[in-house]
This record gives sequence, structure tokens and C-alpha cells, in this order.
Amino acid sequence: MWGYEKKLQYPVNIKNPNAALAKLILTQFGGPDGELGASMRYLSQRYTMPYKEVVGILTDIGTEELAHIEMVCAIVYQLTRDLTPEQLAEQGFDAYFVDHTTGLYPVAASGVPFGACAFQSKGDVFADLTEDLAAEQKARATYENILRFCDDADVRDPIRFLRAREIVHFQRFGDAMRIAQDSLDSKNYYAYNPEYDKP
Amino acid sequence: MNNDRKLLMRRLQAADFALYETVLFLDGHPDNKKALEYYQRIKAERDRLMTEYAEKYGPLTPDRVGNQTRWDWVDSPWPWQRSKEDV
Repeated sequence: MWGYEKKLQYPVNIKNPNAALAKLILTQFGGPDGELGASMRYLSQRYTMPYKEVVGILTDIGTEELAHIEMVCAIVYQLTRDLTPEQLAEQGFDAYFVDHTTGLYPVAASGVPFGACAFQSKGDVFADLTEDLAAEQKARATYENILRFCDDADVRDPIRFLRAREIVHFQRFGDAMRIAQDSLDSKNYYAYNPEYDKP
Repeated sequence: MNNDRKLLMRRLQAADFALYETVLFLDGHPDNKKALEYYQRIKAERDRLMTEYAEKYGPLTPDRVGNQTRWDWVDSPWPWQRSKEDV
């Protein structure tokens, strides 16, 4: 089961609102490569994973992604304080505002709402772990794209932290892949699916 | 939040981060002695900071509310809210 600690994993302290930037950063909440998709992917894949260390990795990284959702939402929350409707419209936030005001709702930067099609839980060891490696790289690339549009040091700081975490997670999924391969016959890794078949 | 509170929170966040980095590493390397030792050390530091913060500024988890006159778990600031002193 889950616990909650009343603190952010890394501080978010933004002095200047910027709804245009908020709209882009929201994609790491509800977008195709965002933290919600990541957490649901890993927390879903863990149930049928036959390797206990990999269950640990999926559970603990999936949990950390929930903390990242909180950070992304904290950033968007702070970036959309104290703006008039005119300012919000000028900064391209009017369509979102009409549906959600300044509430936090999982959408991509394009406005497409979050959907489970953003991730898979294939129930196959190599498909799942390969997907996880790709997911971390997609998230890293997304944070890099966000940084290209971001001059505010208060925003760059937590975004760079989140980007660095993606790289570390990629390493950890590399460990998971190694553990899976070490458990199987190197002459034929695909002889059976350890998540489903008996050896 | 005032300077002492902010400083203590930063130290706690740093220790907590180191702890969870070690957790992720140990998940993939459960027999690594150095990592196990580091985990115990950083856990002691982090638990100490967590207790200190909670004693001075209020509970960080709802299962450790010490205040018997008021359910201060609900008191602000919540983590995404900036307080006036953060300017």
C-alpha cells in the first residue's frame, strides 16, 4: 500500500507566473511521455514480473513517479497563480482555463487528455522492460524540449532535477534487463515468457 | 517558510533523496555490502532529520500526528503552496 509524505521530493519555488510555460510543462502530467503514464506503466507491469528484484525496481520507480507528478503539478500550480483572464488568454491558456480554470488536469501540451494508450503492460518480460527503457528516454527528451523554452531559473532548476532522474531510472531498468537475461538461457532468451509460462 | 525551517527541509530532502537513490540501487543489487552499509547510515541521518522537522514544524505523515488538541496534519502549507516567507 502507499504512504504520503508532506514534502516535495525536490523544492519548487517559482516567483513569476507564466501560463504559456505552464501549458507546456503540463505535458509531463498528462502527456504521452509524462509522469502519470510512467507511474501507471511501472505499477501495472510489476504484478506479473517473476523476478523479485525487478518487482522491487518497478514498484519503487513507479512510486517515485507519483512524487514527480506532484512536482510537475506544483510547478504548473505556481506558474498559474495571480493571472487575470486577459493575461491567461494572451499566454495561450484560455482554452484550458475554460475547461479546468487553474485546476490541475492531466492533458498533453497539445490538449489531448491523458489516456492509457500512452503506456503498455504487455505481460512479457522483454517487451515490458524494453518499453520501460524507451519510456525513460522519451521523458528525458521531453524535459530537454521543455528547457529549450524556459529562461526562468526558478523553473529550470526542478525541471533539470526531473530530467536527471529519467537518466538514473534508465540505468536501473538496465539493471532489471540484466537480471532477466541472467535468469534465462542465453542461447534462447525467447524460449518462453517467464511472466506466463512455466520453464 | 522562515530560514531555519527552509534549511531543515532542504537537509531532509537531501537525505531522503540519497536514501531513495540507494533503495533503487539495492533493488537491483540486493547483496551489495557497501550499499547496504550506506543505506543504514543515510537512513539514520534521514530519520533524525524527519523527527526533528516534525517536532518543530508539524507532521510529515498522518500516522505521526503528536498534537493532541488539534489535527495539525491538515495545516498549511501543503508542499506545492509557497508561503509568504518564500518571496
